[in-house]
Amino acid sequence: MATAAPCRRSATWAASWSSSKELNTPERTHTLRLAVAWAVLSVIGVVVAMQVNMPPGHQTQQAADESSLLSLMLILSTPVCIGVVLFILYSVFAFRRVPGSLDDGPSRRGNLRMQWAWTIVTALIVFTLAGIGINGLANSSNASTFSSSGGSLGTQTVGTSASDRLQVQVIAQQWYFTYRYPGYGGAESTHLVLPVNANIEFHVTSTDVIHSFWAYELGVKADANPGTDNITYATTTSTGSFTVRCAELCGIWHGNMFDTQGKVVSQGDFATWVADLQSSETGITLPPYAPEYFPSPRVKGT
Amino acid sequence: MRAVTLPRNVSDSSSPKYGNRAVVLVLVVATLVVFLAVFFARFVETFPYTLTSEVASQPRVVLAGTGGTETVIHLETVGSISSAIDFPKPNDPNQDWVSYLPTTTFKVPANSVVTVVIDQEDSASGLRNPFWSKAQGIIGPFHMKYFDQNGNPQEGDFTQLDDASTPAHTFGIPDLGVFVPLLGISDAAPAGSINQITFSFRVGKAGTYHWQCFVPCGSGTIYGNGGPMQTLGYMGGFLVVQ
Amino acid sequence: MSEVTSGATMLQPSVRRMSLPTNALTGLVLGVLGYWAGVQIGNGLGFNDSGNTGVLLGYALGSIMFLVGIGFATYPLGRLLGWQTPSQPAYDEYKGAWRYLNLSFDHKVIGIQYLIVMLMAMLFGGIGAMFVRTNLLSADTPIFPPDKYLTLVSMHSVLMIFVASAAIVGPFGNFFVPLMIGTNRMAFPRLEALSLWLVPPALVVMLLTPVFGGFQTGWTGYTPLSEQGGQGFDSYIVGFTLIGTALVVSGVNMLTTIITMRAPGMTWTRMPIFVWGVFSASILGTFAAPVLAAALCMQALDRSMNTSFYVSSNGGSPYLWQNLFWIFGHPEVYIFILPAFGIVMELIPHFARKPLWGYRTAVVGLLGVTLLSWFVWQHHLFVSGIAPALRPFYMLSTEMISIPTGIVFLVAFGTLWRARISLTVPMLFSLGFLYNFLIGGISGVFLSDVPSDITLHGSYFSMAHFHFTIVGGEIFAIVAAIYYWFPKMTGRMLNATAGKIHFWWMFISFNLAFTPLFAVGILDMPRRVSTYAPNLQGINDWVTIWAYVLFSSMVFFAGIVIWGWFFNPKLAVADPWHVRSIEWELATPLPRRNFERIPTFTRPPYDYGEGAPRPVIEHGAEPAPA
Repeated sequence: MATAAPCRRSATWAASWSSSKELNTPERTHTLRLAVAWAVLSVIGVVVAMQVNMPPGHQTQQAADESSLLSLMLILSTPVCIGVVLFILYSVFAFRRVPGSLDDGPSRRGNLRMQWAWTIVTALIVFTLAGIGINGLANSSNASTFSSSGGSLGTQTVGTSASDRLQVQVIAQQWYFTYRYPGYGGAESTHLVLPVNANIEFHVTSTDVIHSFWAYELGVKADANPGTDNITYATTTSTGSFTVRCAELCGIWHGNMFDTQGKVVSQGDFATWVADLQSSETGITLPPYAPEYFPSPRVKGT
Repeated sequence: MRAVTLPRNVSDSSSPKYGNRAVVLVLVVATLVVFLAVFFARFVETFPYTLTSEVASQPRVVLAGTGGTETVIHLETVGSISSAIDFPKPNDPNQDWVSYLPTTTFKVPANSVVTVVIDQEDSASGLRNPFWSKAQGIIGPFHMKYFDQNGNPQEGDFTQLDDASTPAHTFGIPDLGVFVPLLGISDAAPAGSINQITFSFRVGKAGTYHWQCFVPCGSGTIYGNGGPMQTLGYMGGFLVVQ
Repeated sequence: MSEVTSGATMLQPSVRRMSLPTNALTGLVLGVLGYWAGVQIGNGLGFNDSGNTGVLLGYALGSIMFLVGIGFATYPLGRLLGWQTPSQPAYDEYKGAWRYLNLSFDHKVIGIQYLIVMLMAMLFGGIGAMFVRTNLLSADTPIFPPDKYLTLVSMHSVLMIFVASAAIVGPFGNFFVPLMIGTNRMAFPRLEALSLWLVPPALVVMLLTPVFGGFQTGWTGYTPLSEQGGQGFDSYIVGFTLIGTALVVSGVNMLTTIITMRAPGMTWTRMPIFVWGVFSASILGTFAAPVLAAALCMQALDRSMNTSFYVSSNGGSPYLWQNLFWIFGHPEVYIFILPAFGIVMELIPHFARKPLWGYRTAVVGLLGVTLLSWFVWQHHLFVSGIAPALRPFYMLSTEMISIPTGIVFLVAFGTLWRARISLTVPMLFSLGFLYNFLIGGISGVFLSDVPSDITLHGSYFSMAHFHFTIVGGEIFAIVAAIYYWFPKMTGRMLNATAGKIHFWWMFISFNLAFTPLFAVGILDMPRRVSTYAPNLQGINDWVTIWAYVLFSSMVFFAGIVIWGWFFNPKLAVADPWHVRSIEWELATPLPRRNFERIPTFTRPPYDYGEGAPRPVIEHGAEPAPA
C-alpha cells in the first residue's frame, strides 16, 4: 500500500466527496481549532493539577520525593488525557457521516513523518520520566545522603557506616507487625516509634508468609519475605503519627493487619521511650536478634 | 452487497418454538438462582453466633465509683473440638481442629471493663515469637489456676510466662493492645486437666475489633497458620463493642 | 486419513465405527467417575498431605475422563484397535442446538461454543465481584466472614482471568481468522476443539473450590500462603494448568494456521489487523503458559509430597514462585490486550469508512509489545527486595513498552481524522475503549516509576489500573466484537437502540465506579482487604453502588443477547454494516464450507475511498479441500 498524499479537493479524485459543510472545512482549520482548544484546556488543567497535594506527605525525605514525583506525573499526564479526549470528541462531532449516505472517507494510509514524530515524542517523554526515576534511585546509593526514595534494596545496605543510622527490624507475622531495635538490646515493641531528623534503616522480614510493611506517611514500603532480610531507608524530617499497614495479602486478617499508632517523636522522647521498653522486657528471654528467622514450617502434630 | 441467502441449516418447517426456549431460559435462570442461594447460605454467610458478655457478679477490678460496668466472658480452648468439656460442639464439621469455644464473636458494652475467663485444655505448642509470652494491655496481672510441670495444681498471679515453649495459645486484640499467653497443659498433669486463666481489660468507644491467637497452632499446615487459624470461628474472631 | 465430508460417509460397508456414544452428558458422567477414582487413588497413596493428593488427582483424572467422554479418545482408540474410525465427527451428526453441546471440529461451531462458555464464566466472575463489593460497604463491620471474603475475591479474580485469556481469541479468533485469511479450516481442528473443551473442566474445578473450603491467595497464588491453605487451593492449581494448556494448544493452532494456510494473495501486509492481534497474542500464549504450568507443578509437589520449592525454612524460596509467576503473568496481560487492540483497530476503519492509518506502524506496535513484554516482569516485584541494580533496567523497559502501546492511539486518531464516522454500537464501544485504555495506560506509567510505586504498589491504585485496562479495555472490545459480529455468527441482528442504551449505561457506571479507586489507593487502602480506614467508607460505598449499576448493565446486555439470539426472528442480511471485509462478503448464515474454491485476495484491507466497492477476493479455479 503506497502512502497516499494528503487529499485535495480535486475533481479527478475517484471517491465521492460529501458536500457536508464540516468536511469542506480545510484541514488547517480543524488542526488549528484542536490545537487552540488543547492549549487552553491544558493550561487550565495543569494549573488545577498543580494545586493538588499528592500524598504521602512530608514526614520523611523519601515521602517528599515520592509526593513530588507523583505531582509531576499528574501534571504531565493532564495535557495528554485532555488531548486524547478532545480529539475523540472533536472527531465524533466534526467528522460524522452524513446520515443515510455511504460515502467513503479519503484514502489515506499513513504519513511517515507523523508516525515518526509521534514515536519520537512519546519516546522522549517516556525516557525523561525514566531518567528522573533512575536519577532518584541512583541518589539513594549515595551513603552520605538519603535524599531520594529508594524503596527496598533487598539485602544490600547503603554505604558501610552503620553508626549514623538507627536500625529497626520489622518482623511481620500473621497477623501483626512487631519491631525490634538491635541497637537497644533487641528490645521488641508492638508500636513503631522513631526519632525525628534521623536516618532509619529498616530490616524487614517475616516469620511465616509474605507480608509487606507499608508505613504510609513515611513513604516506605518493603515486602516481608520469610527467610529474607529486606532493607529500606527513610530519613525522618518532622514529627507526627503515621499508619502502618500490611500491603501484601497474607490471609484472613490481612485487612486488620494495621497499626495507627506509629509515631515520629523528638530525639529526647525517643530515648526515654526506648529505655522504658528495654526495662519492661527484662523478664522475657527474647531470641537473639538475627536478620532472618527460620522457624520450623511444621508444627505440633505433623 | 449480497442479499440474504440460504435457509438455515436447521430444518425449521414450523416456526421456532419460542415457548420451549422460554421454558429453558427460565429453568436455567432458576437453577442459577438456586445454586447461588445454596452457595450464599452454606458458604458465604457462615458467621459464628455472637456471645454477649454477662454482668460480673463478683467484679475483679475495683472501679472506685467510676460508674463503669464489668462484664464477664467464659471461654474454653481445646486441642480438638471432640474433646470439649464446657461447650461441646457436636455439629461442627472439623472435630479435630483446635478451637476457642463456644464461639468467636463477642459483644461487650462500650466504656467498660471486660473480664475473660478461659478454661485452657490444650497441650503446649510453644510461641514462635517469645515476645508474646509477656502479657500486655490488661489491668494488673492475669490469674492462673494451673498444673505445673510436675503435674501439681498451682495458683497465682502472673505478668508473663517465663518459658516460651509452654503456652498453648494466646488471646490477642491488637487494636486494643491486649495480649495474654495461655499456659498449656503439662505432660505430667492428669488427663482432662484444665488450666484456668482470668484477665481483665478496658474497652473504650464503640467499634469492631478483631482478636486472634498468636500461636501457630494449626497443625499440619505450613508455618502452622492454616486450617483453624485461617477460618473464622476457631482461633480468631471479632470483639464488638457497643 | 479418510475425511468424512458433507454428511455422506465414504466408509466401506464392512467398517465398524466406535459404538460408544460420546457427548456432553457422557463427558459429565465420565468426569465424575474419573474424579471419584482419582480421589481414591490419591488418598490411597498415603502421603501426609491433608488430602491434597486426592483432590489433585481427582481433578486431573476427572478432567481427562471428561475429555474422553466428549469424544477426543474416539479416534485414537479406534485406530489402536485397528478400526476405520472417522477422524472427526460428521458435520451433520448432530442437529440444531444439540450440535453445540457436542464435539465438533468445525471452527464456526467451536467459535460459538467458545462464546457461550466465556459468557458463562464472565457471569460467575461478575457475581463474585458483586459479593466482593458488598462486603466493602462497611469499613469495619464484617458483612461476610473475612476468610470467605478472600475466597470470593480469589474466585472472582481467577474466573475473570480465565475469561480475559481467551474471550477474544477463542470465539472470534477461531470463527473469523480462517475466514479472513481465506481457508476452510484451521491447521489443527482437533487442537482447536481441545482448547475449547479444556475450559469447562477448568470452570467446574474453580467453582468447586468452596466445597473444599476455598483459597485465600487471590489470583497471584503467592507462596507460602497458598501452601498454608487447605484443599481449596488445589482448584487453583488444576484450573490454571487446564487454562494454560488451552492457551498453548490454541496458540500452536492459531500460529500454524496464520503462518501456513493463508490463501494466495493474502500476504502478511494484507492481513486484517485483527489477525495480527490474534497472531501476536498467540505467540505470547504459546511461550508463556508453560512457565506457569511448571511453577504450578512445583506447588502441587509442595502440597502433596512435602517438597520445599517455595518454603524458605527448608532451603526453598518464595521469590522463585513470584518470579516464575510473573514471567508468565506479564505476557499474560498482554495476551489480554493485544487481541483487544486488534478488534478496536479493526472496527474503527470500518465505521469511519477510511483505511487503517499507519497499518505497518500498527503491526510494529503489536509485535513490539509482544517482544518487550518478556522483559518487564520485575516491575511487579519492585518492593519485594530484588537487587537494587535490577530496578533501573525494569523501570526503563516498562516505560519503553508504553511506546508501542501508544501506537494504538496514533493509528486510531489517524483513522478518525477526516473520516465519515457513524456511531454504531460497535463504534461506540471502540471509542469507549480508547478513553478507558487511556486512563489505564497513564496509570500504568505512574506505577512504573519506582519511587512512585512505593506508595502505589499493592494498593487500590494498582487495582484501578488493571481494571481500567482489562475491563475498560478488553471487555469493552469483547462487547464491541459481539455487537459487530453477532449478525455473521448467528444470522440475527442485535437491537441497536438497546445497544446504545447499554453502552452509555456501562460506560458511565464503569467510569464512576472505578475512577475513585485511584484516589482510594493513594489514600492508603491496600488491596484485598475486608476492612479499611473509616474515612474511606463514603468513597467505597459510592464505588459499590456504581458497581451494582455496572453489573446490571451487563445483565441488560445478557438480555439483549438472549433476546436477539433466541427470541427475535429479525434475520440479518449478509452485510448489515455495509463494510468491506471478507467475512461480510460471504453469505449469512455461513455455509459449512466457507469457500467452495480457494479464493485469491487482490485488494488491501480497508480499501475505502479507493474506488467503487469491489470484491475483496476473486474466487479461484481449484476446488478447496474440505
